[in-house]
Amino acid sequence: MDRHDDFREFVLARQQALVRTAYLLTGDAHLAEDLLQSVLIKVAGKWPKLSRGGNPEAYTRKALVNQYISWKRRLRPEVPSTELPERGASHDDAALHRIVLRQALARLAPRQRAVIVLRFWEDLTEAQTAEALGCSPGTVKSQAHHALARLRAFAPELACLLNDSEMEEVAR
Amino acid sequence: MTRLREALDGIAAEAPLVDLADVAVAGNRRRRRGTAVLAAVVTVAVVGVASTAVALPWQRADRTATPQRVDGVPDLPDGAVGPIAYAFRTPCETQSNPVRIDCGTVEWRVVTRSGRTYRMPQALVSTAKDNDVPVAISRDGRMLVYYNRQAQAHVVRDLVGGTQVTSPVTVKEERIGMGSMLALSDDGRYVIFDPREGTKDPGLLIDVRTGKSRPVDGKYEVVSIKGGVAVLVRYVKTDLWRMPVTGGGRPVRFDGKFIMFSEIAPDGRTVAAIEWPDHTKRRLTVLDAKSGRILRKVSIRGLPAGGDKAMVNTALWTSGSEVAVVYQSRDDVRTYAVNVKTGQAHQMARYPVDRSRRGLVLPGVASR
Repeated sequence: MDRHDDFREFVLARQQALVRTAYLLTGDAHLAEDLLQSVLIKVAGKWPKLSRGGNPEAYTRKALVNQYISWKRRLRPEVPSTELPERGASHDDAALHRIVLRQALARLAPRQRAVIVLRFWEDLTEAQTAEALGCSPGTVKSQAHHALARLRAFAPELACLLNDSEMEEVAR
Repeated sequence: MTRLREALDGIAAEAPLVDLADVAVAGNRRRRRGTAVLAAVVTVAVVGVASTAVALPWQRADRTATPQRVDGVPDLPDGAVGPIAYAFRTPCETQSNPVRIDCGTVEWRVVTRSGRTYRMPQALVSTAKDNDVPVAISRDGRMLVYYNRQAQAHVVRDLVGGTQVTSPVTVKEERIGMGSMLALSDDGRYVIFDPREGTKDPGLLIDVRTGKSRPVDGKYEVVSIKGGVAVLVRYVKTDLWRMPVTGGGRPVRFDGKFIMFSEIAPDGRTVAAIEWPDHTKRRLTVLDAKSGRILRKVSIRGLPAGGDKAMVNTALWTSGSEVAVVYQSRDDVRTYAVNVKTGQAHQMARYPVDRSRRGLVLPGVASR
């Protein structure tokens, strides 16, 4: 049995979920794939230890977020993949919301974007998000609050998405 | 489920299909080979084998870890080849069905102003820990600096005079972290190495002629070195520090947040930058680097439209009134000279790099 068989099994089971997280963080299909690939190479190196008692998925997610924040520090702005279309019959509200949200996410600071993805898409708890980001739960709370405020400012048309009472509770 | 989560779900559904298990295992094996070779050579060195004997395994190890491409591009020869227009990192080779990505062939290449391309196997492209290793080019394209694994130091090549100087300051490969930066002065004498941008880990200003070095405050990132002055920027509040290479100087704080700083203009006090977070608005801000005042904001006219394009940096001043901006699309990278009074832009150069854009290095611009 190859020493990497367990790792391959883990990747096969989780890679699509992880690349979706990477895609939400980067907003670019190529970058998402590059990001996940570079993280998985490192995870492969730590696999013997992780598989003995660690939490491979939590470790990989944390590495993904940290690598993404590090890449963003290089200050290369994201190239939006889609222009905001004129409102018309060919786009329903959900599609328009996705396009506007994608553009608004691109304007968030990397940590704020990561908080939005981890808290509101991955449904991680404050403590889990803090663990992934290497900060305190209080910082997660304030980052979530600021991130939502900035999304509202950047894209007032997303008010129906961002003024949900459940979300307010999360950010309070 | 909240409506935000539904919208995020919709975006996430556009993520690519990937098959990364074998690629990750292969990448890890490559890393392990690199580390093992490093350990072996260090051991040989410790037991006192002469340095010339150590050099040979290094050369072989480098070629093993980074196999040559078979596209007939010659190695950068010793001696003069003429000034270079840009350098780039070759992309990983990809193959579909089954999906395979081979990053073992990634290497640095330079393109001369006369259009010749050379491989640079002597320039380390990534560390044993897979951190990218930058190269930098002087403003006039004459000088090139890269990190050489064998020397464990930076090497400055004069591509017009045909000479080469290895920095007397040893920098261990492990010091080169994720997002390290490099900048080179016009005369090739001064190199600034930042082991990891965005952290407080201090950088190093190296005088390759004397071997003297001084730390650079890790809170700052290097923009350029010109006329004996290093321009350093701290992004949090946005402070700019014109630090003489002999030390000293004081930072000046701008009113606002700015990114993508240009070098200092020929007048010795003006810089151009992009205001954050309005970097998508195609607007340049001209700042006084001595007083910190905003001199003017100029909307750039004449850049091609399109949602897939974005300004990604500023670069050199081409005259007292024009500064270059770097503009990236999915297919290429172009530079435009922008008049800082009228905002009118005209294209200067096109670089046929697409996915390798993260590895494009232009003269006079600090690189990552």
